[in-house]
Amino acid sequence: MSAVDRLLDGPAADLARAVREREVTAVAVAEKALGRVRAAADRHGSYLWFAEDLALAQAAEVDRLVEHGENFPLAGVPLAVKDNIHVETLPSTAGSKILAGFVAAESATCVRRLVAAGAVVVGKTNCDEFGMGSSNESSAYRPVKNPWDPERVPGGSSGGSAAAVAARSAPLAIGTDTGGSVRQPASLCGLVGWKPTYGRVSRYGLIAFASSLDQAGAFARTVEDAALAFREMAGEDPRDSTSLRTPVPDVLGRMKKGVEGLRVGLLLEAEAEGGLAPDVRKSFEGTAELLRKAGATIVEVSVPRVPMAVPVYYLVATAEASSNLARFDGIRYGARRGDGDLASVYTGTRSAGFGPEVKRRILLGTFALSAGYQDAYYGRAERVRALLRRDFDAAFLKVDAILCPTSPETAFRFGAKTADPLQMYLADVFTVPASLAGLPALSVPSGLSSEGLPIGMQFIGPVDSEPVLFALARSVEEGAGVWTLKPPDAL
Amino acid sequence: MKIDAVLVSKVARLASLEISPEETEELAGQLTRIVEHFEELRKIPDEELPGAPDRPSTPLRLDRAVAGRDLSFAEGNAPEFAHEHFVVPRVVSRND
Repeated sequence: MSAVDRLLDGPAADLARAVREREVTAVAVAEKALGRVRAAADRHGSYLWFAEDLALAQAAEVDRLVEHGENFPLAGVPLAVKDNIHVETLPSTAGSKILAGFVAAESATCVRRLVAAGAVVVGKTNCDEFGMGSSNESSAYRPVKNPWDPERVPGGSSGGSAAAVAARSAPLAIGTDTGGSVRQPASLCGLVGWKPTYGRVSRYGLIAFASSLDQAGAFARTVEDAALAFREMAGEDPRDSTSLRTPVPDVLGRMKKGVEGLRVGLLLEAEAEGGLAPDVRKSFEGTAELLRKAGATIVEVSVPRVPMAVPVYYLVATAEASSNLARFDGIRYGARRGDGDLASVYTGTRSAGFGPEVKRRILLGTFALSAGYQDAYYGRAERVRALLRRDFDAAFLKVDAILCPTSPETAFRFGAKTADPLQMYLADVFTVPASLAGLPALSVPSGLSSEGLPIGMQFIGPVDSEPVLFALARSVEEGAGVWTLKPPDAL
Repeated sequence: MKIDAVLVSKVARLASLEISPEETEELAGQLTRIVEHFEELRKIPDEELPGAPDRPSTPLRLDRAVAGRDLSFAEGNAPEFAHEHFVVPRVVSRND
């Protein structure tokens, strides 16, 4: 195995160090990674578009600047980008046929920041259409296979990004998380995945699904790599009016201080609401014990409206989606259908271009906002959302972070939930509460099931608590040691 | 609440979506099941709910002109583009 192959199999931080110290060139890393990207696309369907020219140009620039003493934190690190995040000159389809042929004019702010830190974009990853799904089965192109078991889903909607990192085609990937679309696939693919405090990472250049919930996040194999990505992606952006103007908290510094004295609350509702798989329950208990031994104080904490979070989420998110996706009408971009008047072009384009899950959610959201139903559904959901926020505020008076499983179960088989959309939605029970409250949350691998599938635990904290969340995740990573395991179907 | 085929058709029209009769029946069943689950929210007594959502207001940015983008981007992605404009289907016909 070559030095570059070994580096691609290891953490991004080690790879960046090797490029900075000129042990290997970024171009050599990019060339090797691009081969792996092609292989991962063939084997798992994790990529939709390749970035050969862009990657080699970016890598050459990194090498040139490294020679001049530039100290890039992510020097030469191959980066996979979810297909609903713009990268200049590459297609952006959000996994939908309605955007077939669309090419981005500029890169999203989070992509620009990572590239400025030395990362090299190697491809765009497959995803559930417009980020709507928890299994990557609603991609308009093809489903994505989980490298831990190719007969199972990788989770969604950022399933391609998760599978790409798990398979070792790129050490770092970004995705979007509206109701768990980074955390849940991270959990199902044995990775670290985070969503920030709402507004901490710019949404500029993301294809909108639900604007009060959408956030960009990252996947990595180690907590340190995930924290590095946070540090580079976070920060104010004048092009996103919801971007936070307060200083970015120091995640890497806090991580080194450990978890001694931190108060961690075990979510009481996890047991009752989640229908936890036995292995997941065991790992939940084991993680609590591990943190206790590392010096954290473990207590139980209740967030009483967690059982309401799925209904609230699916009313708010679909209502916002029905509005955001109105722009896809065949006039300014995308594949136009229909040759009659304006209304027939709108209807023809949208009916041919959107897939079944997107149509279902647009209908649900349109219903929730329609005359006669708005107050009873959308309006009520927003008011319950306010109560959920207050529940979290009360819980964080008692604890520094809340621990619960990321997903009630491990990766499921293809087709297991497609016949019943409600069952698919209910799988998001532990990820949607943090999204609704705008709180930071991350998933960290905590063990393997008896079937050899990864299990993930989620930490949720108050606004700007990312440093504490990464410190807790680091402690779990050290204790569980899952990150060193390679999935059986990795490259 | 039951969502029937008539309501599905009405909502589909509002959303500019064409749904076949078979899809309409299937969607009516699925949406009914989903919305019935959402009735859970009604269990919270009205007096416990805040009068209005307490979402933070969206900060406004300065009303300042900035340079626009090169039109080649719009042209490259448009289904139909001519004379620096998007070509749209006829909106008003002679008979209107």
